[in-house]
Amino acid sequence: MGLLTILKKMKQKEKEVRLLMLGLDNAGKTTILKKFNGEDIDTISPTLGFNIKTLEHRGFKLNIWDVGGQKSLRSYWRNYFESTDALIWVVDSADRMRLNDCKKELHALLVEERLAGATLLVFANKQDLPGSLTAKEIREALDLDSIKTHHWLIQDCSAVTGDNLLNGMDWVVNDIASRIFTMD
Amino acid sequence: MSSNGNNHLQSAMDSNDDGIEDMDFSHGDHFEEEDLAMGASSKDSGFDSVIGHIEDIIMEESFQSTQNGFLEKYYTEFEDTEENKFCYTDIHKEYISLIETYLDSELKKRIPDFSMPEFSKQLQERRKELEGEIFEILLTFSDFMAFKEMLLDYKADKEGKTIDLSGGLTVMPVQEKLSLDGDSPFCVSGKSLHGP
Repeated sequence: MGLLTILKKMKQKEKEVRLLMLGLDNAGKTTILKKFNGEDIDTISPTLGFNIKTLEHRGFKLNIWDVGGQKSLRSYWRNYFESTDALIWVVDSADRMRLNDCKKELHALLVEERLAGATLLVFANKQDLPGSLTAKEIREALDLDSIKTHHWLIQDCSAVTGDNLLNGMDWVVNDIASRIFTMD
Repeated sequence: MSSNGNNHLQSAMDSNDDGIEDMDFSHGDHFEEEDLAMGASSKDSGFDSVIGHIEDIIMEESFQSTQNGFLEKYYTEFEDTEENKFCYTDIHKEYISLIETYLDSELKKRIPDFSMPEFSKQLQERRKELEGEIFEILLTFSDFMAFKEMLLDYKADKEGKTIDLSGGLTVMPVQEKLSLDGDSPFCVSGKSLHGP
């Protein structure tokens, strides 16, 4: 490891965390990111690369990385695992057809060595859509109860209305804080 | 890189905890000097001298031209849009590696027995007291957003000049071409940019 990499790891500022937001395409990752940031969400097109936003939340600096979810792009996800404090897995709760695909992709991530120790927040998004599954149904469909390797929480939400986005983020920040910053 | 790197850092930290310095005895002269000076002050001056050399190195013209060569090679890949292309990540990695290799080889030229692992250990010991512009600069090298901004600034400079030179010519075909290229998330030019 070279000098710059060493310095970066050493000087990671207090109260600064890195969140990696992944999920199948059309789950609403970029919409969540923009909603958080108070931006217009009417003209969002499919992400073909990645977006980064830095937000302040309750005294924490959150660096959120949102990476495109199309099938052909998922092999790039691993380039963004390094130093991730929390994985935010976004689910389109109305997309019943792809729940199995969604489950497989999530569980594949959980065995990644570089994501070991990361907090897992599952956003059961699109609760504003008629016919969307509840958080409890998503929890069963994704077999979340089998996860023993990560702290996890599932939060129902709507990126469009903004409902419960902050609840989820509060939990993530609290969980990371109790894990990392109390060690100093 | 990650797991080895972490182990390395971890072992460097472990050796601090027990209060005993692991010294590199492979250089006879170095050992004599440390022994006579009884540790701390000599080690501080050694550390400070490395920092001084790093400051010199990044101020020099040859560093600037190395950096400019890199910018020149890749600036056309970058576009002033919010969304980032995957290839930016590869280009940034290559940049970090270029700067690290450059610093390492320049330090070795100036300090014959320079050892990066040893210097890293010293950095670890001083992690709470690393203040000053030089550390901000070094951290900026590995910051992705700062890197993107540098490339876009360079691109704006270059393209500003291009427009000056082409005054009176129509630039429409160029714009069309740019917008076509812009639709692709992948880089279509430049070498050594591999997908996984």
